[in-house]
Amino acid sequence: MFIDRRNALKTLGLSAGATFLSPMMAKIEVQAAGKPMTAKRFIFVVESNGVRPEQLAPVGLKRESRKQEAFNGPAQLLDVPLADKELPFSLEPINPWKDKITIVQGLSGRVCGGGHSNNFQALGAWGGGRGNGGESMAILGETIDGALAKALPGIFPHIGLGISKRTENNVIYNISAIGANKGLPTMVNPLNAYSTLFGIVADGAAKQEFTAKNNLLDFLKDDLKKAGANIAGAEKEQFQAYLETFETLRNRQSSLNEIKHTLREKGPVVSDKYRSAIETDRLDAQFDLGAAALICGLTNVLTLSSAAGIRDFDITFKGLGLNIDKHSIGHGGTFQGKTWFDLYNIIRRYHFDLIAGLMKKLEKVPEGNGTMLDNTVIVYLSDGAEGHHSRCWEWPMVVIGNIGGKLKTGRYVDYPGYGQKGHRTTANMYLTLLHLAGFKRDTFGMPDPTLKDLDQTGPLAELFV
Amino acid sequence: MPLNVRWLLNKNKGRDNPKRFRFCHTGQSLILSLSCLVVVYASFIFICQLSLSAQENQISSEGPVEILKFATGSESKTEYDKSVRTFLVKHCVSCHGPKKIEGERLDLTSLDPDMKSSTSGARWAMVLEKLTLGEMPPKSKPRPLDEELVAVGRWAHAEAKRAGRPFTRRAAYNNGNSIPHTVLFNPRNIPSFDGGPSIRRISPEIYFAFTNDLAKNQVGIAQPFSHEGQNTFKDTGAPRMDEPVTAQLLQNALVIVEAQTAHKIEGGMVKGNMPKEISTLFNPKSMPSSMEMELAIVKQFEIVLKRAPTAEEKLRFVGLMKKNIDEAGQTVGVRFTLAAVLLQSEAVFRMEMGTGAPDVKGRIRLAPREIAYSLAYALTDKRPDAELLAAAANGGLATDEGVARQVHRMLESPKLEKPRILRFFREYFAYDRAIEVFKDDKGALNHPGHHARSLVEDTDQLVLLILERDSEVLRELLTTNKSFVAYKSAATIKKQRAEAFAKYESELKKDPKKFENKTYKPPGQSIYESYGLKDFPDQQPVELPANERSGILTQPSWLVAHSTSFDNHAIHRGKWIRERLLGNVVPDVPITVDAQLPNTPEKTLRERMAVTQQAYCWKCHQLMNDLAYPLEQYDHFGRFRIEEQVLDLEATAKNIDKKGKSAGPVMLNVKLNTAGVIAHVGDPSLEGNIGNPAELMKKLAASERVEQVFVRHALRYWLGRNESPGDAASLQSIHKAYRNSGGSMKSLISTLLSSESFLYRMPESRK
Repeated sequence: MFIDRRNALKTLGLSAGATFLSPMMAKIEVQAAGKPMTAKRFIFVVESNGVRPEQLAPVGLKRESRKQEAFNGPAQLLDVPLADKELPFSLEPINPWKDKITIVQGLSGRVCGGGHSNNFQALGAWGGGRGNGGESMAILGETIDGALAKALPGIFPHIGLGISKRTENNVIYNISAIGANKGLPTMVNPLNAYSTLFGIVADGAAKQEFTAKNNLLDFLKDDLKKAGANIAGAEKEQFQAYLETFETLRNRQSSLNEIKHTLREKGPVVSDKYRSAIETDRLDAQFDLGAAALICGLTNVLTLSSAAGIRDFDITFKGLGLNIDKHSIGHGGTFQGKTWFDLYNIIRRYHFDLIAGLMKKLEKVPEGNGTMLDNTVIVYLSDGAEGHHSRCWEWPMVVIGNIGGKLKTGRYVDYPGYGQKGHRTTANMYLTLLHLAGFKRDTFGMPDPTLKDLDQTGPLAELFV
Repeated sequence: MPLNVRWLLNKNKGRDNPKRFRFCHTGQSLILSLSCLVVVYASFIFICQLSLSAQENQISSEGPVEILKFATGSESKTEYDKSVRTFLVKHCVSCHGPKKIEGERLDLTSLDPDMKSSTSGARWAMVLEKLTLGEMPPKSKPRPLDEELVAVGRWAHAEAKRAGRPFTRRAAYNNGNSIPHTVLFNPRNIPSFDGGPSIRRISPEIYFAFTNDLAKNQVGIAQPFSHEGQNTFKDTGAPRMDEPVTAQLLQNALVIVEAQTAHKIEGGMVKGNMPKEISTLFNPKSMPSSMEMELAIVKQFEIVLKRAPTAEEKLRFVGLMKKNIDEAGQTVGVRFTLAAVLLQSEAVFRMEMGTGAPDVKGRIRLAPREIAYSLAYALTDKRPDAELLAAAANGGLATDEGVARQVHRMLESPKLEKPRILRFFREYFAYDRAIEVFKDDKGALNHPGHHARSLVEDTDQLVLLILERDSEVLRELLTTNKSFVAYKSAATIKKQRAEAFAKYESELKKDPKKFENKTYKPPGQSIYESYGLKDFPDQQPVELPANERSGILTQPSWLVAHSTSFDNHAIHRGKWIRERLLGNVVPDVPITVDAQLPNTPEKTLRERMAVTQQAYCWKCHQLMNDLAYPLEQYDHFGRFRIEEQVLDLEATAKNIDKKGKSAGPVMLNVKLNTAGVIAHVGDPSLEGNIGNPAELMKKLAASERVEQVFVRHALRYWLGRNESPGDAASLQSIHKAYRNSGGSMKSLISTLLSSESFLYRMPESRK
């Protein structure tokens, strides 16, 4: 690390642009990393400020936002094949994979409470219980990415990458959780994220540093064990957890060392984007890092947060030439002749450009009889549910991928209105993902007390083949 | 009155607790009340403590209670079968049993008594809480005997401990009022001191100051810590130390050492800006000797930890450096070893363990060095200054008077920045949260002058002014009608406006046509509108009409902080007053509650809150709503009003443009109702009807109880933990000092920082 970080990065830049390893090599590497050949991967792309239901319907299919009341939609499930439909404007970048897409509408998530952001609740499908307006930061349980991370552990059980409007931030907690009161970090500084995930490569030839770091970790572990000997109660638990982090780091050093070669070959190229003040640059960098982390087998669960959470949702996408923040757009703001409707679409399309880029990378890596993309599911949604001031009557999502053909894709599915028979919630969507991962649970999150007469358990059966 | 354990176990006999109603007996609510899991595990501990202190004070009416300890699961099971199973059968199982009653899902007969191999611990904690708070069994059923309850509690506590998940009191950091007020402020019956040793992670602010001290503004250092966000005070509790935190600490340490030891080799010589003891280690011509290594380590300890290493530490660090140089080369080996000093637990944690032999009361005093750090971190974010360290070294902190002298010196030193004092008021009143509440300033209540940051700065300034005078601080904070009004920007905007207007007038004179159909819009935000003024004041602070403003709770910053994007938040406001001024407990929202007010903008907030008056909701909401209604005197931007505006549905429907599209909402003025009630406090002098905010604040400000609750919060803030019964002596002496000094905050702080609770620890074994 000390020798010359900048030069190390330059060298890396030259080599990492090279093509991926041959399929055979990749297999060997994957096996060396102790991973099963057909891993299952889940990616969550969470964009702030809501996804308007009317903007996700295929061209020619009229879909309004539903009213904020019970029985606000049809009694029947709508199921339309996408094959002969055009994707809406913002989804055009993923058109090449139209047969792998499921656009899911009509799910509710009323327990979450709504507001400008549902924070952890969005992926948790439980409520913060903090009254009118939602926006609670309470962590009442695991979120779906946390649950999947426990189910599909990798070298890093979960990687959270994202952007914050506050550039001074490094690691924030607002969207993912492994359990009650246990938030998972979102790394919002791409450079630091790089050093956490690929630092072992950036350290370059510094085998010396690797050794010294191990010595240091061992030394501190002993030191802490001694210091913690006389402590009791809550502090002991805290101290113990701290001590365990040294063990985790030490073990991870070893795991990373084993796949150092892969990391060097397939790791991302650090560019100016990693330290840019422009939010789109940083998000580009994070998508880069995320793709590389998956390809290198560092994790099976990745959450990409585009300024999700109540403290960041009103970010301004200056990089797209928009000098208007998302809060103002949410309130009907216009910019250079573009209405809020256009602006929502433009920003979402940019996100689908990034998603398409990520998919392309995964598609290039052979795995089993197909590619990595075949074993990956990407879920796009907003922590702000269906709008700027959401009440979570609806929660539009785009699901891409089918994990080896388990999902019947290439469809637009719109669930019955809130309270109608057959109405489903986001919890059912998350259960669908857990079932895909091979963990057949019946309940997730918290049931909606208002829907007590409906069956709220199990996955979305309609999505399966 | 002797300390009465009995009423604690039987809520219905309680005199001081507002939760004297049954809370949770509507079927499924009990099982789903996950929220309860975060509540007061303290209760049982508290019983034990009371029992013990009762023992020590020899006033026990219950006889000695021996603490149970289980070595094995079967020991625990035997006790469970003996004391708990029969209890459950007798008192609980008729409702919470295998026979399914409508909506009921908790079956206590199937709740695993083995907390180690199951996840039943949290559930048991909840059961225990319901029992100790007297919420169960329901009123209509016979009361269990106290002995029975104590036996259940002893078993549950011991089993939780065996499972390695003790019901410690830390779970209640946001619920510090669970120790009843009368227990803490009864001068005739003071439980003995029980504050245990503590280790706390340093705050983000302290860490920032620490790294800045070692390597100012060094790129690559990032904040690894964040506040937990759910506690009353930010720097309390035992926040999570997870792997990204440690990874960041490690990276920061390496970056700092790299900056510390930056150098070049010129002509075989080390050229760099570092102490000689350290630069020697980088000499390219020779490997450092053991003695040189030791000297460098001594130096690094001095720089980083402000102390000399012990002989054992010298040995260990020299050993590490040798090994590192051997395996990783000179430069890398030296640097990684120096970095280890920055990662010592005392650089990351605040150790307050105490040292030496116990005194006659069984207490041990903090080590002088620990006291020096504690005092420094009590008032500043920086490590102790030279004078404090000197006092620690030469016995100046060995007596309470010596400590008080140092506190006095620090409080009176104008040069020493003391951000922790203002931070206490910010966190106590939580007015700084105004910045986090998003307001639609172009909405129905159109208020483009809203500027949350400015409002917070104004209240900061008001607090500082009151602290400066240091007389009847709390009373002033609750009643003053003085206010700052955009004090940072007022003069500048006013000047800009005058200039802009002069320019406009002169241009208007030259070419009136150019300005036809145009209205003049002054530059800058009209922040003064939040305070009900017509312009920026010339002098700050200003006196606002006394019927309009009365203390911090009527400052726009506080009102905005306790509001939503579109509404006043009467529930949060009421909760704040209930907890932080009246010192009662508001239970957490049960998870089954769909906690939303109807979305009916044509009704007043009070009307919409009618949903909370259903019997099930009202049990908790009667603690909050009525306290907050007087603050309906203000709109959700904090502006004083005499009428309330609601949406006029009919007029809005008719308000359409030529194309038939809506032309926006139309508002209707309705009568404002600011009537409220103070009730369920446990102090008759406070209770009664209230007509308006000024009346509310006057009543609260005059109350001794409110003052004591304020002192409780101060203790909580400065100790970084909730008060326990054993803090009673400290609390009473702090309150006495505050009162005798005519409400001086300095007096409060210096008594607190030289109190038993601050300076002493009771070893775990004694507790």
